[in-house]
Parts: sequence; structure tokens; C-alpha cells
Amino acid sequence: MKTACIENKKMSAKEIIESYKGKPLRIMEVCGTHTHEIFRLGIRNILPDTIKLISGPGCPVCVTPVGFIDESLMLALEHRAVICTFGDLLRVPGSKMSLADSRQKGASIKMVYSPVDALSYAKEHPDKEIVFLSVGFETTTPASCLAVKKAKADGIKNFSLLVANKTMPEAYKILKNSADAFLYPGHVDAIAGTSVCESLVKEGVSGVVTGFTANELLTALAVAIKLSEKGKPFFKNCYPRVVKSEGNIPAQELVNETMESCDSEWRGLGKIKKSGLKLRADYKDFDARTRFNLPKIPGKSNPACRCGDILQGKCKPTECGLFGKICNPQHPVGACMVSNEGACSAYYQYGGNL
Amino acid sequence: MEKNITLAHGAGGKQTSMLIDEVFKTHFSNPLLTADDAAILQIDSGKIAFSTDGFIVSPFEFPGGNIGKLSICGTVNDLACMGAKPLYLTCAFVIEEGFPLTILEKIASSMEKTAKETGVKIVAGDTKVAGKGQIDNIFITTSGVGQLAEGISLSGSKACVGDAVIVTGDIGRHGCSILLSREDFGIETSIKSDCAPLWGAVEKMLEVTKTLHVIRDATRGGVGTVLYEIANQSNVGICLDSKEIPVSGEVAGVCGMLGLEPLYLACEGRLVVFAPMDEAEQIVKTLRQLPYSKEAAVIGEVTSEMPGRVVMKTEIGAKTLLPEPGGELLPRIC
Ligand code: SF4
Repeated sequence: MKTACIENKKMSAKEIIESYKGKPLRIMEVCGTHTHEIFRLGIRNILPDTIKLISGPGCPVCVTPVGFIDESLMLALEHRAVICTFGDLLRVPGSKMSLADSRQKGASIKMVYSPVDALSYAKEHPDKEIVFLSVGFETTTPASCLAVKKAKADGIKNFSLLVANKTMPEAYKILKNSADAFLYPGHVDAIAGTSVCESLVKEGVSGVVTGFTANELLTALAVAIKLSEKGKPFFKNCYPRVVKSEGNIPAQELVNETMESCDSEWRGLGKIKKSGLKLRADYKDFDARTRFNLPKIPGKSNPACRCGDILQGKCKPTECGLFGKICNPQHPVGACMVSNEGACSAYYQYGGNL
Repeated sequence: MEKNITLAHGAGGKQTSMLIDEVFKTHFSNPLLTADDAAILQIDSGKIAFSTDGFIVSPFEFPGGNIGKLSICGTVNDLACMGAKPLYLTCAFVIEEGFPLTILEKIASSMEKTAKETGVKIVAGDTKVAGKGQIDNIFITTSGVGQLAEGISLSGSKACVGDAVIVTGDIGRHGCSILLSREDFGIETSIKSDCAPLWGAVEKMLEVTKTLHVIRDATRGGVGTVLYEIANQSNVGICLDSKEIPVSGEVAGVCGMLGLEPLYLACEGRLVVFAPMDEAEQIVKTLRQLPYSKEAAVIGEVTSEMPGRVVMKTEIGAKTLLPEPGGELLPRIC
């Protein structure tokens, strides 16, 4: 399916990309699912030398800081809470160990597929404290909010969230010098709407909203290339089938009702102002940090890991000294090697540029 | 007879005989299955293939089959992969105390049906009962012998440059149906396991060509794992064409939602076949006329490039590596 964006052009999206001869372009895909699909489809292997794709910070696991894993470990080991989490977080290294490792030390870690599953588990086990590790971007946040709202309505007393949810717009601003254009994640904008991305044009940030199929990815890339050639900042929604400018209003209201904006720590990028979410005061009983009175944990990542540079396109995974030697998907050193959507893991699994 | 298995059913006394008579003998009876300590078998001259496999599956009943059918198909297919006609099977049960007899009956009946279909006889068996909580419901181990057809020699080390890579049907259905019945993803589908006995398919292939190089059943780890095994054993490269790989729409949909690669989902009724490219068309045509291989297709070829690796030509015509097998299947966050 071609979108309206290039309908009247004679060349196919793939041809536009392959034949690009203009000035060097850096295009950043900010979404982990895009990273994975781009590698799976081999899109990097059809790019001319002048186009560089950078895997940005859109994989929720990759940007979750070490300190967050350490906080979860403290809840599991010292407070004896049952930790419910998405599978991807299990093997992310903390300062001393991962959640998967902590099972041997007696931690109770349960893999769930949604925060509502964690809530159901809490209802079935009123004698235990259940903490759900709430990470993710605009797309996943509403599910956490829904769980917490239900927990409050049902008077559940043994359920809380350790929140590290993040929002994208401030990260785009921080990264604007790392890329000439962004491929905006379609499912994030389906929730958040496009107005924020549109207004970023004024700050010199360019990008196109992108879907997930081969055609949608190629089309968005071709459009980004064509618009870049004009030399002015731009915005284009290349995923209008799903993304509307106002976004998903009920989901936004749900998030607004339960959470508010705060500064947030991104692995590799440091603290970014107003780029995170925390539970509102009305819901403080469901905030694991308040409930268990957690201290601030700084968290130490392996200094040789270059995830931060990779997320900003300053180096390729293969330029990290640990890549493929000490660090591989079975024994990940950094978060970018853990998640299937991380740049290092994708490079490792799909053979980088064949 | 009581409704559930008790420890007494495994103690060797009267109740054991009752269980054998009423459940196993009714379903497995044939002249070679006697009350003696071992079965006496007539084997023609030539070579035999001999294989064994243990089956633990949770849940033990799944859409499209149960552990009984699986245990017969598993060993039958292992023999078939060597080009051997399955003749005799033994089966050993370990059953958890409290297991419902009606379900055991159902499992035995599936085993009977599958064995009959393949023409294989169950000639000896054993039953043990484990205390409640010591095992998960029921384990079955089957062993089997098969007669090797004259002049047949198949092995994972025999893939040659220029061979076609064939799969005998759409992939990943067993893994997908098990995953969906094990975890509550809130996804409604009608996906059924592909669990099936495949000697019939192998027999027909051997009738049309004697130059098959490799046959392997894509069980645990799926087709992708088998391809990496063969690429390594034969020290060749394999190039797949993603658009030729048969995947049902429903399996593709579930994989899309959960972030899984169908090539790594288990099959229990699919073979991967390597044979010279000029024989491939005839083989596929033959397979497509059979009940369990209607979707057979050539999915790629053996190359001399990148030995030990599997390369994929993707839907946009670019090439990437197929990620190597390994790791848990972890559905991703978003
Ligand atoms: S290869 Fe491993 S250590 Fe190096 S940057 Fe990637 S995740 Fe970090």
C-alpha cells in the first residue's frame, strides 16, 4: 500500500531510496519496533552510503536506567515483594545482577503480558505485595494507568507500580543534532497525536510518522529523503490510516488522570527534563517508591558499554569493544543487547550490514 | 473401575492388570503384544533404524491433538526422517496419581488411531504411577524400530550446494497452538497443531526419487533451528526466500502481535527436505497430493556462501541473516 505521500511519483519508494545521490543524511528511527523491522527486512542493506540510519532511544528496555533495575531488586530481595514484569526486562543487567539472576537468591519474579494480569495476580494473592514494573512509552502507559485506576476502584491494597514510563517529545529535542530527520513511531503518535511533532518543526526538528510494514517503512524513508532535499524542516504523517492529529483522546485522559509529567533518567542519555511520568498524589498509595520508602539508587552500568553513544548515533554497535565478544544476547552487558528491539541485539542477530 | 489413577495402579498387582486390560490392551492389542517380558519380532534382512523420544507437554491436550498422538508421531517421524518404514513401537507411561482415567483412555485411543494410520504396532509397554505433585500429569516415552529401504542413506551432513530446501507444509502451528493454550494472551484463534505422522509423505517421496539428501522433522526450535543444524553439519550456506515460506494467516497474525518468528516455532508434523533442485518440482507436486503436506513448498536453496549461516531474502528483496536460534521466546513489550 502506498500512502498519498508519493502516489504521483513514478519511482517506487525503494528506487527513490536506492538512487539517492544528495548530501549525506542521518535518519533516526526512534522506535524499537522500527529498529527490529528495519533489520529484519534488511532495509539497511539497500541504503546508499550517503544515508545513515541511527537506532534511537525508542526501545523501552534499552533506555531504562540501571538504577531502576536496582530498585526492583531491592523490592524483590529486601521487601520480599513479588515482581511482575514484561519478559524483556528480566535479563537487563542491574549494578550487581539482573532480575533473572535474583531468582536464585530467592526473589519471586513473575512474567506477565499486561499490568492488568499483575493486578489479577494481586487479587488472587492478598497475602503478598505485588509490584508491577511499569516501563514504556505513550503506547504502553495507558495500560498501567488502567490497572492502577482499577486497583483504586476495587480497593486493592497489595498492588503498586514502580514507574519509569517515558514520553518522547523532549527526547526529540535533545537528539535534534544527532539526526537530520526522525522516523516517528506510528503507534506512539496513534495515542499521543501529531500536534507535538508538528510543532517541533518550529524548533528545527524534522520527521515523518511511520507505520510498520515493509511498504510503510520504505514509503516513510522515501518521503523523508524527498523532503530533506528541499532543505527546510518538515513534518509529514505517512501513517494516516492509523494516526490522527488529535490522537486517542480517552487514552490521553486516562494517563492525565493518573499520572503527571516529571524529569526522567534515560540510560545513555542522562536526565531529560519533563520526559517521564509519575503517579499523581491521588494515587500515591500505588506508588512502590512511596509505599516501600525506597532510597534514591544511582545505579552503575558497565563503563565500557557504549549504549549511550549508540542511541545518539555516535558509534555503531560493532565499534563497541565488547560487542560479540563479552556481550551477546545470551550474556548481555548493556540493555541494547537484551531486548530484541535494541540496536546491539539487532546488529548481532541480523549480521549488521551483510 | 475407579475414576482416577491411584498408586495401586502402578504397584504391579490386580489393579495394574486391570488398567492394562481395560485401557491399554483394548487399544493397542495385536498378536505381538503379549503378557511376556519382551516382544519377539521378525526383522527382514537389511538395516533397521532405532529411535527413542520422551514427551512432556503442557497442556497435555491441545487443539489438534494430545500427548498420546504426539508420542506416536514423534518417534514415527524420527524413523521416517532416516528413510525407515516404522514397524514396531514400545511405550512407557509415567502417570501422576489422581490423573483421570477417562482422559488416559482418550490418550490411548489417539495413540491407537495414529499407530493404525501409520501401520506401526505397539509391541511392549510399561506403566508407572508417580505420587501427586511429583510429575506434571503424564509423561510418555516411545521407542521404535523401522526397516530401512534398500539403498537409502539420509543424513544431516549430506546437503549439497544447489540443493532445494523444501518444507512439507505451513510452519509454526504446533508451537503457536501450545503457546496460546498455555498463556492467556486474550487472543482467540482457530489455530490447530500440525501434529501428524509423516511416514506416508516420506514413502511417497522415496517412490519418486532416490536422491533425497536430508530429511529432518522440524520439532523443537522449528524450521529455523533445523536449517542452522544442517548448515553446520553439511558446512554449507542456506538462502531462504521469505515470500515462499508457507505460514498461515492466523499464525502470522499471532507472531506479529507477540513479536515471534514463525521459523522458530515448533512443528510436530512438518519435514524439512533437501534434494537436488531439478527433482524439487516433482517432490513438491507429490507432497501436495497428500493429506499432511498440501502446502509443501520450495523455500530456498543451498549455497556455497557463508557456510554455517542461513541468509534470508526478505520481502523487499534485501538480504539479511536469519537470527541464530537460542534464548527463550520472550514476547516483547510493545
Ligand atoms: S555491545 Fe553490549 S556493551 Fe557494547 S554497547 Fe552494546 S550493549 Fe553495551
